[in-house]
Amino acid sequence: MHNRRLLEHFDWWIFLAVVMLMVIGFINLDSAGTATGYPFQWRQFWWYIIGIIAMLGLAFFLDYRKLTTYFVGIYISIVSVLVLVLCVGKTVGGSKRWLSLGFMNFQPSELTKLVMVIVLSSYFYHNDRPQYCLKDLLVPGAMTLVPVYLIYRQPDLGTALFLVIIFVSLVYMARIKWTSFLISLGSVLLLLPFAWERLRPYQKGRVLSFLFPERDPLGVGYHVLQSKIAIGSGQIWGKGFMAGTQAHLSFLPEVHTDFVFSMWCEEWGFVGAMLLIGIYVLILYRGFLIASQTRERFGAFLAFGVTCMLFWQVVINIGMVMGLMPVVGIPLPLISYGGSSVLTTLSGIGILLNIRSRRFMFQKERG
Amino acid sequence: MKRTEKAVKFRLKTIWHIKRFNQEDLEANRQRCKWAITLLFVSMSIFCVRLCYLQIVMGRYFEERSKNNRIRSVRIQAPRGDILDRTGRLLAGIRPCFNVCIIREDVENMEALLTRLYPLLGETEAEIRTRLHVGSTEPSYIPVIIKRGINWKTLSMIEARLFYLPGVSIEVTPAREYPYGSVAPHLLGYLGEISEQELRSGRYKNRYPGDLVGKCGIEARFEPELAGKDGQQKLEVDARGRLVRLIDKRPAVSGDNLYLTIDLDLQEACEEAMKGKSGAIVAMDPQTGQILAMVSSPGFDLNDFVKGITKTQWKALNNPVTRPLLNRAFQCSYAPGSTFKIVTAAAALEEGIVTKNTILNCGSSYRLGRRVFRDWSWRGHGETNLHKALVESCDTYFYQVGLKLGIRKIARYARAFGLGSKTGIDLPDENPGLVATPGWKRRRYHEPWQKGETLITAIGQGFTLVTPLQMARLISAVANGGRLYRPIYMEKILAPDGHCVVSFHSEVMGTLPVSRSHLRTIRLGLLGAVQEDKGTGKQCRVSGVHVAGKTGTAQVIGQARRRRNEKDMPFKFRDHAWFVAYAPAERPELAVAVLVEHGGHGGSVAAPIARKVFERWFQIQSPRPLIRSPKITNNIRGGDSHA
Repeated sequence: MHNRRLLEHFDWWIFLAVVMLMVIGFINLDSAGTATGYPFQWRQFWWYIIGIIAMLGLAFFLDYRKLTTYFVGIYISIVSVLVLVLCVGKTVGGSKRWLSLGFMNFQPSELTKLVMVIVLSSYFYHNDRPQYCLKDLLVPGAMTLVPVYLIYRQPDLGTALFLVIIFVSLVYMARIKWTSFLISLGSVLLLLPFAWERLRPYQKGRVLSFLFPERDPLGVGYHVLQSKIAIGSGQIWGKGFMAGTQAHLSFLPEVHTDFVFSMWCEEWGFVGAMLLIGIYVLILYRGFLIASQTRERFGAFLAFGVTCMLFWQVVINIGMVMGLMPVVGIPLPLISYGGSSVLTTLSGIGILLNIRSRRFMFQKERG
Repeated sequence: MKRTEKAVKFRLKTIWHIKRFNQEDLEANRQRCKWAITLLFVSMSIFCVRLCYLQIVMGRYFEERSKNNRIRSVRIQAPRGDILDRTGRLLAGIRPCFNVCIIREDVENMEALLTRLYPLLGETEAEIRTRLHVGSTEPSYIPVIIKRGINWKTLSMIEARLFYLPGVSIEVTPAREYPYGSVAPHLLGYLGEISEQELRSGRYKNRYPGDLVGKCGIEARFEPELAGKDGQQKLEVDARGRLVRLIDKRPAVSGDNLYLTIDLDLQEACEEAMKGKSGAIVAMDPQTGQILAMVSSPGFDLNDFVKGITKTQWKALNNPVTRPLLNRAFQCSYAPGSTFKIVTAAAALEEGIVTKNTILNCGSSYRLGRRVFRDWSWRGHGETNLHKALVESCDTYFYQVGLKLGIRKIARYARAFGLGSKTGIDLPDENPGLVATPGWKRRRYHEPWQKGETLITAIGQGFTLVTPLQMARLISAVANGGRLYRPIYMEKILAPDGHCVVSFHSEVMGTLPVSRSHLRTIRLGLLGAVQEDKGTGKQCRVSGVHVAGKTGTAQVIGQARRRRNEKDMPFKFRDHAWFVAYAPAERPELAVAVLVEHGGHGGSVAAPIARKVFERWFQIQSPRPLIRSPKITNNIRGGDSHA
C-alpha cells in the first residue's frame, strides 16, 4: 500500500552515509584490533548487522507516532534497567556500567540517550505550550534527573552530563522564556562549586588537565598529548592503514573507543579526517533538515533530538581527542567499538528515517 | 487511492490525535533548526581549522614527536683500546663488567624485591636505596644500576634467581682488565667517571655523564686514541618501553691498541725490587731512549679503580706523606748526590782543569776559608786521579775540581747533560728539576752565591734537583757516546684492524759537549766503580756482564744535624740512595737509574736493586754470548788507560 511511498520518501543520503560510516568504522577497527590484539572488528561487524536490521525495522515497520503512547512504559523500563545495573551490573575498570546477558554485555546508559529523546519529545508533545517557564520544566527536568543520577552513580559522568545536554537541546526546541533561561543558567553557575566537590579525583584531573594542559604532561594530560601527536603526525595523507605508530605501539590509549578518531587521523591523515567529518555533516545536516521539514510537533522534536544526540556525541568526541574539550567517555557514533552505542545510534537513525519517510502523510492537507 | 489515504489520515487523527503545526509554529520550528544547522557548520568548521593546524601547520612537529616517542637511540659503548708491552703482552685489556640493574617499571613489589636482593649483593640497604633514589628522576623504564662489577659467584646466584626477582636485570658494559695484575700503574693511569669540569672543557667528544675517561698516565694522554667510536642502535619501543624491533645499528669501533716500549718482565722485576721501598726506577734503552721499565713506589692497585674506589681508599691514595699517586720517576726531583760527579768530571776534563792523569791529594776533608768540607770517608783517599775519584766517589777530589771550575761552568755542563729542564717525555706534570746558578740564588733568596755552595754543588748536594728520569737519560747518554734522547714509552699505535696509525721514533735532543776520549775516561771510571774492589757500586756486579755505574747518596739535611749511625735518624731525615748504571759496559743495552727515598747509602741500598734489574734483563736476553773473555776486557781498559 503506502510502503511504496515510504520507500519513495526514504532518505537515501543518510542511508548511504551510514553505510560509509560502517565501512570506515570496520576498516579502522581492523587496524585497532591488530594494535590491541583483540578482534574488535568482527564483533563490531555483527553489531552492525544487528543494528542495520533494527534501523530498517524501525524505519519501515513501525510508525514513530506510536512511540508517544508508549513513552511512560519505555521510561519506566529504562529506569528499572538502570537500577538493575547498579544492583547486579558488571564492573569493568572501576565502574558498573554493563549488564551481562550471558553471550554479550550491554550498556543500558547508551540506550538511555535515545530513550530520553523519545520520552522528552513525547512529553513536550503532550504538554504543548507556546513558551515554557521554569515551573513547566520541573516535570521533564525531574524525569531527566532520575536516569542522570543513576548513571552518575555507576559512575559515568560523561553519559550523565550528556543526558543533561539532550534535555537542554530539547528545551531549546520547545522554546523557553528568557527569564527562565537566565535564572536556570545562574543557578547552574552557583551550584557548580558544590558539584566540583562531589567529583572524583580522576574526574577533577580530567577537567584540570583540559583547562591547564601543561599541568601534568605525564598524567591525565598525557592521553590528550598523545592523541594530538597521533592526529598531527598523520599530516595530509596519513601514515597508511595499519601503520599508525602511535596506535600500534600503544602510545594512544583506548584506541578502539574514545580515541578512535585519533587513530583514523593518524593512519588516513587530513584527507581521511575530512572525509569522516564530511559524512557526519551529511547525516547531521539531513537530520536537522528532517526536523525542520516535519509538519507535526512530535516528529520534529524526535528528529531534532536524535540529530542532537548524534551531533553532540560527534562534537564532544572529536573535540576531546583534538584537545578542544575535556576528556569524557563519549563514543564516536558508529566508529567507536561498542554494541550498545552502535545499536542506539542505528535505532536513532532508523527513527529519523521513519520520520522522513512519513512526511508525505501531512503534505496533502497543506496543499 | 484518495479514499484510502483519507481513511488513513482519519485513523491517525482519531487514534493518536496528531497535532500538526500551524503556520507560525512551523516557521518557528524552521528557525530553530536553522540555528542548529548553523551551529553544526560552525563547530565542524572549527574542527577543520583545528585539523589543519594539527596536521598541516604542525604536522612536521608532531611527526617528529611521534618518532621521538617510539624511537630510542641507544649508545653502544666502544670497547677501549688495549695497552700492550713491547712484546705484545696485554697490560690493560677489556673484559665484560656485569652490573645489576633494576627497571622500576617492571617491579611489582619493591620492598619484597629489595629484601631478597640485599643478601645476594652484600650491600647495605642504605646504599641501594640511595642509588634507587638518584635514579628515580629518570623515566621508570630506564634501568638503574644498583651495583657495578659483580663477581662470577654473585652473577650466577642472581642469574639463577632472576625468575624470583622481577624487574632485576644484568647489564654488561666493557671494563678495564689487567691480566698481569696492576703493572706500572703510574704509567698506565686509571679511569674515572668524567667530571663536570672535563665535560665542559670540550676536550672530550661524545662523552656523557657517567662515562669513564682516563684520568692520568697513558689512559689520559691517549684518551682520544683509546676511546674509539661509540656505536648507535635505533630501537623501536612501545609505550611501555619494551623493544619492538631494531631499526638501525651502527656498530661501535673499538679504540686503538697501544704498544709500549715497556718490557713486562723487566717492569715486574723492578716493581718486585722496589717493594716496600719508596722511590723510583727508570730503565732505558741507551741506544734509543726507549723506556723499558718505569716504576714509582709506593704504587696503587689499578683494580681498585675498576671496582669503584671507596672513600677510605681514595683518602689513602692522597696521603700527603706517601702520595702513592705521584709518579716519582719524573714528577719528583731530588738532590743527585754523587751521581752528579759524572757531570763535574766531564766538565773538569773538557775545561782542562784536570786530565785523567792529574793527581790531587785527597784527605778526609777540604778546608775552604773557615769551613771544613768533609769527605764521606773519614780515612780519606790519598793521592787520587779522576779514575780513582769516580771509583771511590771521592768528595775531596771533586771539591777541588769544582772550586776551579766555578759554579757557572758546572751549571752549564749540568744543563748540557739534560738537567734542569724537562726531558720531554710525553706525559703531563713533568718536574724540570733545578740547576742552581748565582743568578738563580739572587732571584730566589736575594743572597749572593757562596763559594762553599760551589763545592757542594760539585758533589751533587746543595740546590741541584734532578728526577730519576733525567738521571736515566744522563747515564744513557754517557753509555751511548753522548746522545741525549727524548725518553719515549710508546712504540706504535695500531688500529683495531691492525694497520699502524703512528709509530714512534727515537729523537736525539742534544749531544753531550764531551769528547769521545773524555767520555771514555768517565766510562772507565764508572766501570771501575762497580767492577773494582774499592768501587762504591760493587754490590751491583752481575755475573757474566760488566756493569758500569755511579752511586749517590743525597743528603736531606745538613751535615751538622747528622748522626754517625744512620739508623738512629728519623726516617724523613735519612739520605736518598741513588744508583745510575748501564750494562754491558762494552756495548750498553740497558741503562738504569734507581732512587730510593730515605734509603740510606746508594752503594748499599740502591746498587743491589739495580743489580736485580740487570740480572733480570740479562736472564731474559739469554742465551747470549757472555762477554767474559779477559781479552776484550783488557782491550777496553787497557786501551783507555794507556792511551
